[in-house]
Amino acid sequence: MPLMLFSIMANFIAPENIGTDPKSMLWLLPLTAAIAIVYKATKMPKITAGSFIKEVAILSGSIIIFIIIIALALFGLAWMITE
Amino acid sequence: MAQRSEANNVFFLIIVGILAWIVPGAGHYMLKEKKRAIIIFTTIVLTFIIGLYIGSIGIINPVDAKAWYLAQIMNSPMVAALGHLTSMDPEKYRVFGRPNEIGQYYTSIAGLLNLLCIINAVYLAHLRGTKAEV
Repeated sequence: MPLMLFSIMANFIAPENIGTDPKSMLWLLPLTAAIAIVYKATKMPKITAGSFIKEVAILSGSIIIFIIIIALALFGLAWMITE
Repeated sequence: MAQRSEANNVFFLIIVGILAWIVPGAGHYMLKEKKRAIIIFTTIVLTFIIGLYIGSIGIINPVDAKAWYLAQIMNSPMVAALGHLTSMDPEKYRVFGRPNEIGQYYTSIAGLLNLLCIINAVYLAHLRGTKAEV
């Protein structure tokens, strides 16, 4: 299986065309879900579908809200310094 | 007898750690935590593949991006083979700009998440070993 995966991955030789506009940062949002899923998979004592999805949604939501708060605070700080 | 059991336990922990590194989730699978193993394998492999899809295999760069490479290689030793492939002809695989950044974030975070899973699997195996001794 690792050999099969290697041969699949070795075919990815051309990068995607992603611009440098602020919208391109939205590509990073799925990472919060990946982090929340793996973290909860290691931390929950017993995994059931309902509770797992709920916990993952709460954690990824918290990460996104915290990122938005930090972004707004930094934006405000930059605005205060430059205006 | 007790010494042998302790040596066996250390050997078992090493095996769990190595397996968890070679295939994400395999450490948990060995400990009969099948649900966790499937979730970990799917999430880490998908995150890594999305990173490669966005940035191409050129984002695995053991020569010019050593710090990223250290995190990426935590995914699996297979990353070293990809790194060897890209370092043989760096100009052919070189990636610039946002695809390079985002691809490196995805693959490196997948690697660090797998490191978390390796530590968790070894810790679970250790806890079970100590419980079995009692």
